[in-house]
Amino acid sequence: MLPAEIKETLLQRIAHAIHPREQAIDVMTIMQSHYGYMSDEAMEEAGGLLDMTPLELEELATFYNFIYRRPVGRYVLHICDSTVCWMNGHESLLQHLCTLLQVEMGGTSPDGLFTLLPVCCLGYCDHSPAMIINQVIYGDLTREKIDSVIHKLREQAHAS
Amino acid sequence: MPKLTIDDLEIEVPPGTKVIDAAEQLGIMIPRFCYLKELGPAGACRMCAVKFLQGPFKGVQMSCMVDAQDGMVVSTNDPEAVAFRKQVIEWLMLNHPHDCPVCDEGGQCLLQDETVSGGHGLRRYLGRKRTYRDQYLGPFIAHEMNRCIHCYRCSRFYQEYAGYRDLGPLQIADRVYFGRFKDGPLESPFSGNLVDICPTGVYTDKTARFRVRHWDLERAPSLCIHCSLGCHTVANARYREVVRIEGRSSGKVNAGFLCDRGRFGFGYAAHPERPRNAKIAAQNVPMSAAVREAGRRLLEIRESSGAEAIAVLGSGRSCLETLGMVQHLSRVGKWTAPDFFENPQMERKVKAIVSQLDARLAVSLRDVEKADCILAIGVDPVNEAPMLALAMRQAFRKDAKVVVVDPRPIFLPMRFEHLAVSSARIETLLQVLLQVLRQTDLAAPPAPLPQPIQLSEGLLSEVAFDSSVQAQFHALVETLVGSRNPVILCGSGVVGESVSSLAADCAEVLQNAKGKGGIFYVLPSANAFGAALLASSPEHSFLDTVEGIENGTIQALVVVESDPLRHFPDGPRLQAALTKLQFLLVLDYLPSETVRRADIFLPTCTLFEVGGSFINQQGRLQAAEKVHAVGTPIHQATDEAMRSARGEEGGGKHPPRMYDLGIPGGEPKAAWEVLDALMEALVPVAEGTWREDPWEVLKQEIPLLASWNGRGYPADGLHVVPEKRPGAAVALPLETEAHTSPSEASLQLLLVDWTFGTEELSQYAAVMRQVEGEPFLCMHPQDAERCGLAHGDALEVRLEEGSIRASLKVRENMACGVMVLPRHGRIQWQELRNLSGRVPFECIQKISTDTQVIEDLR
Amino acid sequence: MSRYPQVLFQNRKLKRINTLEEYCQSGGYQALADVLREYTPQGVCAAVQEAGLRGRGGAGFPAAKKWESVPADGAFPRFLVANSDEMEPGTFKDRVLIHAEPHTIIEGIAIAAYTIQASKAFIFVRPNYEGSAAILEREIKRAEEAGYLGRRILGSDFSLEIIVHLSGGRYICGEGTALLNALMGKRPNPIKPPPYPTVKGLWDRPTVVNNIETLANVPHIIRNGPDWFKGLSLVEKSPGTKLFCVSGKVKSPGCFELPMGTPLREIIEEHAGGLLEGSEFKACLPGGASTRFLIPEQLDVRMDFDSMGEIGHRMGTGAIIVFDQKTCLVGATLNLIQFFARESCGWCTPCREGLPYLRDLLWRIENGEGKEEYIPTIRSMCKDMWNSFCALAPGAASPVESLLTYFEDEVHEHIVQRKCPFQ
Repeated sequence: MLPAEIKETLLQRIAHAIHPREQAIDVMTIMQSHYGYMSDEAMEEAGGLLDMTPLELEELATFYNFIYRRPVGRYVLHICDSTVCWMNGHESLLQHLCTLLQVEMGGTSPDGLFTLLPVCCLGYCDHSPAMIINQVIYGDLTREKIDSVIHKLREQAHAS
Repeated sequence: MPKLTIDDLEIEVPPGTKVIDAAEQLGIMIPRFCYLKELGPAGACRMCAVKFLQGPFKGVQMSCMVDAQDGMVVSTNDPEAVAFRKQVIEWLMLNHPHDCPVCDEGGQCLLQDETVSGGHGLRRYLGRKRTYRDQYLGPFIAHEMNRCIHCYRCSRFYQEYAGYRDLGPLQIADRVYFGRFKDGPLESPFSGNLVDICPTGVYTDKTARFRVRHWDLERAPSLCIHCSLGCHTVANARYREVVRIEGRSSGKVNAGFLCDRGRFGFGYAAHPERPRNAKIAAQNVPMSAAVREAGRRLLEIRESSGAEAIAVLGSGRSCLETLGMVQHLSRVGKWTAPDFFENPQMERKVKAIVSQLDARLAVSLRDVEKADCILAIGVDPVNEAPMLALAMRQAFRKDAKVVVVDPRPIFLPMRFEHLAVSSARIETLLQVLLQVLRQTDLAAPPAPLPQPIQLSEGLLSEVAFDSSVQAQFHALVETLVGSRNPVILCGSGVVGESVSSLAADCAEVLQNAKGKGGIFYVLPSANAFGAALLASSPEHSFLDTVEGIENGTIQALVVVESDPLRHFPDGPRLQAALTKLQFLLVLDYLPSETVRRADIFLPTCTLFEVGGSFINQQGRLQAAEKVHAVGTPIHQATDEAMRSARGEEGGGKHPPRMYDLGIPGGEPKAAWEVLDALMEALVPVAEGTWREDPWEVLKQEIPLLASWNGRGYPADGLHVVPEKRPGAAVALPLETEAHTSPSEASLQLLLVDWTFGTEELSQYAAVMRQVEGEPFLCMHPQDAERCGLAHGDALEVRLEEGSIRASLKVRENMACGVMVLPRHGRIQWQELRNLSGRVPFECIQKISTDTQVIEDLR
Repeated sequence: MSRYPQVLFQNRKLKRINTLEEYCQSGGYQALADVLREYTPQGVCAAVQEAGLRGRGGAGFPAAKKWESVPADGAFPRFLVANSDEMEPGTFKDRVLIHAEPHTIIEGIAIAAYTIQASKAFIFVRPNYEGSAAILEREIKRAEEAGYLGRRILGSDFSLEIIVHLSGGRYICGEGTALLNALMGKRPNPIKPPPYPTVKGLWDRPTVVNNIETLANVPHIIRNGPDWFKGLSLVEKSPGTKLFCVSGKVKSPGCFELPMGTPLREIIEEHAGGLLEGSEFKACLPGGASTRFLIPEQLDVRMDFDSMGEIGHRMGTGAIIVFDQKTCLVGATLNLIQFFARESCGWCTPCREGLPYLRDLLWRIENGEGKEEYIPTIRSMCKDMWNSFCALAPGAASPVESLLTYFEDEVHEHIVQRKCPFQ
């Protein structure tokens, strides 16, 4: 169940929209940031708010990149694999990340902290190679920079 | 009208015609996968590419996306277009599993045909094939996503055309998947159309799975007789058994689609218990002996008690040929006037409806699709005549307003306004509406109506609708006034007897002003219209026959393809009466209770075995052709033979090892043929007028058919209604006493139809068990509260001699003061004696609290 | 600093946006005030028409012409959509613009909305630009408080609400009609006109979709006049400045505001600092991933819609991706086609099935499994991509086709050596 204040925010957004459907992505994004991912139950809950069937919502959820329909780690790493990042060494960085996190592309690290996913061009080609972790962009990546970012996130996770 | 040239042939087509359709009119079938005229263009598959040589477009374009325009020169076989189409086929076949040998679509597969005709034969692509996980979609449809070529026909039909919301496209790119959120039965009662429209074998008919190859089928144009609409079908049979029904496009009835009741309800025809032998006192005898004996018994009764002591009952599920023969036999034999309705009240309503229809006012199902305003009165389309809901949906998609006046909890796959008023109030409301329409200038440009609408003295004051209904009514009138093509739909089930004429009067007033629109009635059975045409005696009904049996004046009853024990509203009374009868002769093809009670039984054929003519609710006379020979289906016959030979089941499915001269189970004949044989036994040849052609009889019995040659039907059937109806009904006094005051401690019982599980024929189809759900009844929350009941309670309704058990559904969207009970096959609703129609509160008891309601399929 | 006049970037700062106050001090929102006081919608159209403003999203369609195609008797409410769904590899100008001068976008939206009489505008922002979306939302609120948005703007009869919509993230959403479907909460498949969105767009109402860079130019045109705007450009038919993004093997990748018609060589060598040490220019994609490879011989072309068209190329979004001699272009093309195959919406066959097929063939060539016969197959399939539903597949085919046109030898080498010669 969603906390009352989140639900209230969602209902307000929906009420303000011309048609509830218009808010489908926003509602899923907000609910996802609460739940971590959109479970079947969350999909049904969202459908109820939006006057959409779970199927109608699923049509959208499975279309887009950033709605997670399976459990993900606390940090979701989307590493850009488009042209400029590819040219600037994406593949070796990806290898490095996989080793570092003990995951394969698409998987979640054994400690449940990190999920590694591909993403197309992040729009940071001037700071390539780039990745995004929980909405924070990391550009001009090197192995060292990746190591320190992951290290920091691990510490952050253990601290809380 | 644009004139264009396609492959050197000129054609002129109406504006807005797509090039692909213009070509089709020339007999040029441009390859296509996604395009379906009913769904409109999508431009997804890119298969209908042709080359435009001259005109506003140049080069390769999709012929489904381009409107035909003057001066266009189009080549369908230009090498560039042909090469592109070949490439499209290669793309579509990249991931196709090539499982044609085990695919039920094989032999009627568009993908197969166009792959071969497109010339793609050699596989170049070396990549891995994409695979999907299939879903369970319920008992009707099998799902095989690996075969999918992503034409989007299924989702476009399912969501856009039909308005259901549980199947659609998921995922993106080359992983697009057509399915549901989770495994589960499809919610749409039109799901079977996916089988017909899928250009390959993603959706196949699960009930027919792995039973036939397409090229082995016996196919013939047929009709659906599971409601009164008379949709066109193609019946497919193999080994003396229908295995599959497909939709067939008709200009006036269905646009090629069917509902699932009509598509999957045919199982009655090969019911394992279908009586295929003539019987005397429940013992099998040869047909000829049974007919002779029946004739002898009838003659005996005529001798002893006079010809009027013989009564005959037919029904609206028989073909017109049979009904005509019943009438003829009864007249020639000077029997008591025949009845064609088991339910006397329904007979009066249907006759009233038939008398209202004329050629000007009666609109077809396809006309409903064109309406811009639909007023549905006392009709529950999804449950009573599902294809009507699909037609309404098409009007809705073109912005038509839909208003329903009905006491039931109505669901429609579209937005609509629902005036949930009791049956009695429907009449009042219509009288008020008629008066308002008569005093409004309907031809004037629409303007806001005064609020409240001015009515003549004493009308609304007496009916006093609550304010929300008043507001809805006001909006309804405004919608009707502003409409250009208003169509009124009117049911026959839950409404009073005067409603049909009031509705027709309203439709007539509107049509006089607008020049368009009309009325569309829904009748209780496939040939109810034909039955009403024949049931000429206005005074006589089956109730008189029952009384006659009770007081001894009727001693013999001939029941022809009818099940009065199912339909007569007072079951216990009829049960008692039948015991007094001297002789009960039953002709039928169903294993019904009435058949079991017969002294002599004569087996008849189904529609699929002999064909027949039916008049649909619009008065359209249409014919079904014979599909397969009469006889026990080979698989059943084999099993029977095995059982009798070895006393057990099994042993393989070889052709029957039953050593007999005739076809096993081949005795049944068309009911009219059996009646003819019976007439031969009863009436000397000189008195009879006919020995071969039932149509000669029909022309005598039905004046409307007198001028017709009875040979061959127009494709759209023959509209057999008079040019002009007798005239507007006289104003009726407002019915006020029927209104329930809130203090009254009883509910009006409405016995209603449900999409699955209540219709007579499809009830005998085994697959319907899986979709009909559990028996239930519906009440308004206020009524439930007054009875101290809650949603999900298991109830017992006990009245005099009978009782039924069902779970309770509490529904906001229905009228107060009524109890809606679908005639579920597993409850003896006949025992509730609904002639009185009211159920006191104290008769409704909760029997347990922990029973779970099984939700109906939507 | 650039030697060219800066318009959209005139107030660009390091690490922070130009605030509302700063924007106003530099003459911001004066154009909106003038428009609301003195201009009819037709008047705005005429001025922008006169200035010759062309759409910055890639197609270069005249902005005023698009506005004019909203029927005079078109229904209300009407909508304006500012497209900032830049997901084309190599493109990041919208991000930079939002982070530099959000109010010129907001003012441009207000003026354009007034022109088409829209009462609601959406800014469609790609995901991962959450920062940009937050800036926009915050600045919209400030503009509302200052009376530049909301009910009865600056005392006029005109009211406007701007909503920032953060997309779920797919390249196809940048396509105008797909974007409208996305905004309405439908699957973002493109729609084939007619009817055009300007007649029947969002919820069947007239809707104009403009790139945010296009809109950001509008206040400046009103403020300084059409002649000034034309004077900004080095060429006649594409007036104004353009935001060029340069990335890849250059010393200073970034986003630069330069006159339309600036030679490509100058952009790369001067503004982007030239190629990295040890790198030589081999090719570039001049306008994002959906344009054709451009070779050293063509470097002197001017970057504007028409000059590029004349040599058979497209300026696209003006996102220049530079490849050096050490980069395998078969690999680069494989990467591009992988992007497009993954981002296909799955509606039409050539795109949904044809792109993975192309990807498979290119993968085989890059990984030493290529065959000579693949080359004609790829060529013919690239041509067939032009018969797809929307512009995604032809765009996807552009780099592939140009690879075979300009670098066929490199492809052959892969096939002959049975491996990638760059590895």
